[in-house]
Amino acid sequence: MNQEELRIKRDRMRYTKDKFSANLTLVAILFDALYFVNIYQSDVGTYYYNWVIGVSVVYNLLFMLMAFLASEGVKNRVGGYTPLLIFIGLVQFARIFYLPTKAHAASLDVQGVSVQVMSNSQYGYLIVCLVLSGVCCLIAAVTSYINNKNLAEYMRSIENQAA
Amino acid sequence: MAELRLEHLEKIYDNKVQAVFDFNLDVKDGELIVLVGPSGCGKSTTLRMVAGLEDITHGKMLLNGKDVTDTPAKDRDIAMVFQSYALYGHMTVYENMAFSLTLRKEDPNVIHKKVLAAADVLGLTEQLNKKPAQLSGGQRQRVAMGRSIVRNPQLFLFDEPLSNLDAKLRSATRREILLLHKRLNATMLYVTHDQTEALTLADRIVCMSMGHVQQIGTPLELYDAPANLFVASFIGLPPMNFVDAKVEQNRLVAKHFALPLTDAEQKTLRPYLGKEIVLGFRPENTSVGNHFEMKVLSNENLGMNTLVHGHIGRDGSGERITCKLNGWCQYKAGDVVSISITKKHFFDKETTQAIRMEEEA
Repeated sequence: MNQEELRIKRDRMRYTKDKFSANLTLVAILFDALYFVNIYQSDVGTYYYNWVIGVSVVYNLLFMLMAFLASEGVKNRVGGYTPLLIFIGLVQFARIFYLPTKAHAASLDVQGVSVQVMSNSQYGYLIVCLVLSGVCCLIAAVTSYINNKNLAEYMRSIENQAA
Repeated sequence: MAELRLEHLEKIYDNKVQAVFDFNLDVKDGELIVLVGPSGCGKSTTLRMVAGLEDITHGKMLLNGKDVTDTPAKDRDIAMVFQSYALYGHMTVYENMAFSLTLRKEDPNVIHKKVLAAADVLGLTEQLNKKPAQLSGGQRQRVAMGRSIVRNPQLFLFDEPLSNLDAKLRSATRREILLLHKRLNATMLYVTHDQTEALTLADRIVCMSMGHVQQIGTPLELYDAPANLFVASFIGLPPMNFVDAKVEQNRLVAKHFALPLTDAEQKTLRPYLGKEIVLGFRPENTSVGNHFEMKVLSNENLGMNTLVHGHIGRDGSGERITCKLNGWCQYKAGDVVSISITKKHFFDKETTQAIRMEEEA
């Protein structure tokens, strides 16, 4: 890409929305939904019937709300949503080591038979969902940050030229 | 840009109603043609046929010599600006203008250049990040025009684009369209029912009534030499006055007055000797004088001129007419004013066609 094309690309950012970052954030919501739909379908005795599930449900709702707000924010190139995206992206990674990992390690006595709460395949699937969700958030945050930085630099250069 | 030829165009709807009869027109490259006429005269139908939004029942349409009669609207390379703007409310001005090019999957950088150039021409650069709801009517109409300009079409069609605007904005936007036409040198077809728009914008005017073309000519031709009574009454504001009169040897005799005829007029009207014709005169072709008397009904002071409405005859029993007299007149209802006619038009009473002076013909 030559200098002129780069200039036009940056100038275009003044009038266009950051759809890439916004859509990536929406994909993060999708992977989170795949995650919680799968884990809430699990029906292994009474293992999941405790307060941890309650917190998980509340956090999933919060995650979707925050991610959606961040999606709209980055779409309109509002810089303040980048830290939020990084935060919720990192939390998605952290969540792997809580509910799925604990469930995977746990076994439950059902009618005298010891049953593994979470199979290896389900554990793998949930890890993939959370990792992809987190990665999407982080890429969206980085892309949005770079684009906003480039746009700010470009705007400064225009203002300097005008001055 | 483009040359357009319409040959014997006709539109008959499924319910057998014929909206357009034998429409013929040659539009030269870079010409701005205005189709004018009252509501229901077929002007918008003609425009929609050109756009490809209506099927052409009979006739042929040639764009740059190529027959596009049966070509779908999307393949005609014609842009149309509607009265209702037809903008996408959820998109910004930039996105609205770029939309058609985005659909064509053009390079984003090329789209960007075209949109900025069009916005610059239309004075919309500062509005590019706004949504249509944040714009005035005139600005919205300019966005609609911008959306057409970026496509760089062969032909621009305007369907009463100023009808939704208030009088002041209409006048300003009209000037902008005229400037735009000069700047782009684009071929344009413009539909309006407003004769002021037609006279101020057009290179040539097509005057229509009841689906028929009444006259095609320059604004001056239509104003100065109307082809028939319809054109004479439609073009000009206030409209032309009409009085029935009988042709005698060297004068024209109406119910309340007689007008002397010049030698040229006598020669022209010789075939009508002893017959009744229609005498037409524009309000602005009258002055205080001695041809006939008028009993005043009301006055409209316009500053430099006064429109005086009244009836011909001292007793006010003649035809109702309007005169545009110089200066600030203060006539009261019931006053009698003597009027002279400075320019006459003659029409055949039976055919309603203009009787041309011999040198004109």
